[in-house]
Amino acid sequence: MKSVLTTVVAAADRAARFPSSSDLESVQGSLQRAAARMEAADKLAGNYDQVAQEAVDAIYKKYPNGQGKDIDAGTQKDKCKRDIVHYLRLINYCLVVGGTGPLDEWGINGAREVYKALGIGADTYVTGLTALRSRGCAPRDMSAQALVEYNTYLDYVINSMA
Amino acid sequence: MNQRPFSIFSLTEDQAILLLETPPEQLDDPADRYIAASQLVNYPSDRAIQALIKALTLPVEDLNSRIVRRKAVETLGYLKATAALPFLQERLQDEDPYTVQNAIWSIGEIGCPDQPEQTIIGEIIALLSNERQNTRLIIQTLAKLKSTAAVEPIRAFMQADDPAIAGAAISALYQLAGEDTQLPRLVEFLQHDSVNARRSSIQDLIDARCYDAIPKIIQCPVSIAFRLRGIRLLAEAGMPTEAITFAQLETALDITIRDHPQALALVHEYDQPPSLDFVIHELYETDFSRCYLATQTLLELYPEVAPTALITEFQQKARGDYGAHYHVIKLLGWLRYQPAYDLILEALHNPAPQFQKSRFAAAIALGELGDARAIPELKTYLDNPVWALSYACLLALQQLNVAIDQAIFDTDTADFLVRAKGLRRFASSR
Repeated sequence: MKSVLTTVVAAADRAARFPSSSDLESVQGSLQRAAARMEAADKLAGNYDQVAQEAVDAIYKKYPNGQGKDIDAGTQKDKCKRDIVHYLRLINYCLVVGGTGPLDEWGINGAREVYKALGIGADTYVTGLTALRSRGCAPRDMSAQALVEYNTYLDYVINSMA
Repeated sequence: MNQRPFSIFSLTEDQAILLLETPPEQLDDPADRYIAASQLVNYPSDRAIQALIKALTLPVEDLNSRIVRRKAVETLGYLKATAALPFLQERLQDEDPYTVQNAIWSIGEIGCPDQPEQTIIGEIIALLSNERQNTRLIIQTLAKLKSTAAVEPIRAFMQADDPAIAGAAISALYQLAGEDTQLPRLVEFLQHDSVNARRSSIQDLIDARCYDAIPKIIQCPVSIAFRLRGIRLLAEAGMPTEAITFAQLETALDITIRDHPQALALVHEYDQPPSLDFVIHELYETDFSRCYLATQTLLELYPEVAPTALITEFQQKARGDYGAHYHVIKLLGWLRYQPAYDLILEALHNPAPQFQKSRFAAAIALGELGDARAIPELKTYLDNPVWALSYACLLALQQLNVAIDQAIFDTDTADFLVRAKGLRRFASSR
């Protein structure tokens, strides 16, 4: 699994060299942010269901005056929630690892082609995840540093899906 | 052929254009303009196209404005907006790789007529050497644009480490230059460890019109959606020219719609017999090879206890999970668990789009149960717009030995595959 640590070591090994100063700086930066990431991972793990529900509610709150299709159908909300929880779980892994490897490997690679092939619009996910991006609040939900880490990966998912 | 993406949102053209043209700071929700740019895919008018082109020229200052531009680029491709080509060409140099990716895709959808063609294609070929770009998509698009100038630049990628890139290159070289020596590798990729590689190889075989690969495509352990799409697109491409006939496709189609795990070549295996709880949990996996292995294992190891465990699981969790929902419905059919009749019937009638696959599953499961009460229910869907549902109902009714009036299929509106199946069945039963 790719992380800052494994990337640095793999790159050094490919060139049969010791990690450079800039390599070590990037590792150091990742380690310094580890406490904030662990806090965010812990808070998210303890609250993911409610967070996903808020995303789903934000999606279905839009255009409630008959413009949406069956927008009150509970089953449709369930579908959204399954997918949002999937992405939150991958975000959680990224927080633990300190890199985007889990999202890249399990959530993003090939996803754009699949969505296009199957005719799945990304606007639902983008709306839900953007709502989570706007909703996060420090220190109510987590410390300011932890929120920065969490938002970084939310942005990463939004950016890669949109 | 790309279908327009499904969205739960539904804006009018006026609403979408108004939102797209509203300054972001005046909107409550930063996602609104993105949704608007997506929704304009439903309005192939000059007004919509001009609004989208205008959106391309607005400055990109943050993530939200970036994804709006990106979506506008993509929607112009769906709309096949030739007038947008010069603006899309500019976006080939965008600093955002996903915007470049969408621009390449849209140019592929629109095509490159007249003089600008060489310039645009030249720019796209040049992007092959840019590691930040999506090499697979670039290769696919160059093949679609029939660019013979791209043959040599693409050739180097046939040996790429990434099977999705190598597969696209192999397929492209066959399409552009008739080089077929590497095509067997595409078939090998159908059994790759990576689910992404397996899905990609189906697309590559479709693009290369490899009709001979259909028997292998139907064994590929991915979601039925990808296998069915593969057969369908190859049928659409090959039947009009008689490169392939329905008689040659029929068995493959029947097997795929029935979707029994024994018909698949699975890429996973257990190193020891798993517990009942473990295999049920595996039904939620996003790599469907794991789900099918779990299904097969439940049938072999736990045929007695699986039904009640599955019903419990269904009520607690699988009811709302469209992945596991499909496998549970299939299993209850394979297990011929009669008490599940009502639950399966409910799945047959469930109109929610994400549970569409479960409707095919329910039809097949009702055929397995052999309960005559299902006959009128199945007949309801013989001319449904969802062709695979009609086809599945036809198979189930066949299993139930039901006679069907051929007039249902002998219409202009009937789907061509359902029609072919229905009429062949009638002919063979006469």
